Order: sequence, then structure tokens, then C-alpha cells
Amino acid sequence: MKENRIQSYLQKLESHLWLHGLADKETLAEIESHLLESVEANLQRGLSNDDAEIKALERFGSVKIVASTFEKERKDVMQSILLAAAVLAGLFSAYVDSRPHWDDTGLLVGGLILISGLIALLGHRKPWLIALAVGIWIPLHDIYLSHDLRMLLVLLFPLVGAYGGWLVRLGIRKTLHPA
Amino acid sequence: MTNEALKGHLDLLLLGILTDGPAHGYAIIESLRQRSSGLFDLPEGTIYPALHRLENQGLLGSNWSEDSARRKKTYHLTPKGQQVLAKRQEEWKKFSKAINATVGI
Repeated sequence: MKENRIQSYLQKLESHLWLHGLADKETLAEIESHLLESVEANLQRGLSNDDAEIKALERFGSVKIVASTFEKERKDVMQSILLAAAVLAGLFSAYVDSRPHWDDTGLLVGGLILISGLIALLGHRKPWLIALAVGIWIPLHDIYLSHDLRMLLVLLFPLVGAYGGWLVRLGIRKTLHPA
Repeated sequence: MTNEALKGHLDLLLLGILTDGPAHGYAIIESLRQRSSGLFDLPEGTIYPALHRLENQGLLGSNWSEDSARRKKTYHLTPKGQQVLAKRQEEWKKFSKAINATVGI
């Protein structure tokens, strides 16, 4: 029973951390070791098994609080790399779109969706930021030339892609680690 | 109020605890609680992200050790961590002295 309660907490924490691109085996092993030591200490203080586990988990903090603290504390290099890749891909798309002989809107739209989706799937925590980084350059360029704000609607394509990728990642996660 | 104030000084406290020697997360958190007579009582899980950040900054090193029951990750101060701790201790002395003088303690 002790194993299940602690393991259940760890699985939930792993899921939360994974959604933020922060899950790693070493961190979870360290937390598991902490929780088991805390339960043992509580047992030595005379608590029952159930109370010892409940107290250990209470003291450790809710999954939500712990996961959000990890998110605040970690400035993940991978997140910066993915964002930089999104900016570069977006700039390249705008360059291609600005060329005088380019006339394949379908391919460009597909590219924006695909690139945004792929970067979100790879683990960036903020799909909206990826969509902006990939998709803002084409409207910026066109607004500069034509002053037509309707071009901002182009952002819808990378938004669809980024949130699509994020949802696929969520689905994979839930399949691998059902709650 | 205490926990909010504590967050701004958590790095100093964690580095300070490790001047006594290497320790694993649970022992660091227990030490934090005991030395403050229970006043510093953050959710234990929120200490680990700070320990990992200090490790990433090169202020702490770590090793996995096997005791009789299970593997534990043990943290120690690095030379860089000792330098930063000395600097932060000096800053804290000045800061607390100024606060005390201001509020009349």
C-alpha cells in the first residue's frame, strides 16, 4: 500500500514534469528516495503506515506546487534551442514567401503548420510562443509593405500546428503513463 | 509571510547548511527545519528545484551514494559555491545590520 501511494504520487509528478519538458529519471529517483525516507522517519515517530505516508506526501507538497517550482527554477537550454529553431524557421519561411517568383501558398501554410507542430511535439512548453516565433515574420513583412493587418490571420496556421503538436505529445504521454 | 521572505534567501540557507559537509536532500531539509526551530518550513518538494539550480550554476556538486537501504543523491559545496557563500554571508551581515539599526533592534 505504501508503495502504491508513493508510486501514484511519483507517476502524477512525472506526468506534470513531462508536460513541462522537465521529467528525468534522476530527479524522480531522488524524490522517491526522499519520500521513502520521510515515511520511515514518520513510522519511527509512531505514526501508522497510512498516516506516515500521508504526512510524508503532505510535507513534500502537492504535485502541482512541486512541478510549478521546478518549472520556475529551470532555465532549460533545450527550450532556448527549440525557440531559436522556431525563429530561424519562421524567418526562412518569410524569406521564401517574399521571393518574387514564389507562388505556392499551400506549401507554405503546410510548412508553417508542420514546423510549429514538430517543435511543440519535441517538447517546448509554450505552444503559443512557438506559433508566434514561427508565424509572425510573414505578416510583419507584409504589413510593412501593404499596411494590411488582416495578414495577422496567417498566425492561425502555426497556432494550429503548435497546439496540434502539443496535443499529440499529451496523447503520447497519457498512453505511456495512464493516470 | 515567513515562507515568502524565506524564498529570497533560500540559496544562502542551502549553501550555509552544506558548510557542515555533504548531505542529501532529506538531511538538508531536516537541517533547515531544525536550525530554524521549525520556522523555515517550506513544502519539501520545492527545495529540490533550488538544489538542482545551484548544481547547474556550479555552486554545488553531487554524487549518488548507496546506503544500506537505497540510493541517495548527496550534495556538496564546490569551491565556487564556497566563494559565493562567503560573498552572500557578507552581504547578509550588512543587510541585517542595516535592518536592525533601522527598526531599532
